Amino acid sequence: MADTAEVATAASSRDPQIGLRAVKSLRTLVERLEALQVRNARDQGWTWEQVAQCLGVSRQAVHKKYASGRGPLRRKDR
Amino acid sequence: MFERFTTEARQTVVDAQNEARRMHSGRIGTEHLLLALLLQLGTPTSAVLARHGLTRQDVAAAITALMEREELDAEALTTLGIDLDAVRERIEETFGPGALDTGKPSPRGHIPFTPRAKKVLELSLREALAMKSTAIADGHIALGLLREGEGLAMKVIADRGVDVADLRRDLRAALSA
Repeated sequence: MADTAEVATAASSRDPQIGLRAVKSLRTLVERLEALQVRNARDQGWTWEQVAQCLGVSRQAVHKKYASGRGPLRRKDR
Repeated sequence: MFERFTTEARQTVVDAQNEARRMHSGRIGTEHLLLALLLQLGTPTSAVLARHGLTRQDVAAAITALMEREELDAEALTTLGIDLDAVRERIEETFGPGALDTGKPSPRGHIPFTPRAKKVLELSLREALAMKSTAIADGHIALGLLREGEGLAMKVIADRGVDVADLRRDLRAALSA
């Protein structure tokens, strides 16, 4: 675990490169977990309304993002 | 610009778009151009690239590994106290193997080039002009990649220990043949 300690020290070095990379990776992780959980909820028969409420967003937002399996890129395509 | 492209060069651009889509990328990068060049087996260009150790399977694997690390950097997450392997393990226990990697949607419709990939195509035109060729062939795109000199494609090429000067010379020779 020496590596981990080393990296953890690097985090407190205030190096933006490291900090921002961590944020970017965290965002990716959140996006993937969200997609996974939304799909799971829908598979179990949850309505978009229920999913939206749990995520704390509008029904339209969650529907736009995940309906018809297109995902976040759909918005950029238009 | 594309009207001066040979059939193989056009195919390279089309294949690059397909590769980007297949890899769930919203942009066509230099790495997709490189993969597309390797996809057309039997062309002089892909033969030269293969001779320098650049084969489709190896390059595809290297690109996937690099891109995954770019998107989800386990080391960076460790600085936040997040153990990506542990997260992955938990998720896969519940949702099955690879569950964390399947959330990515495939982009539809037109996929734009990255500025760097665009630059590579511009440089391929310049490479063709420098060789007094009126048409832009797939070999010129390969030379454009090397001329641009950065990006994911170059990282893969460098990681494989390819002698770029040698490769450039062989590509030119194949184009002149």
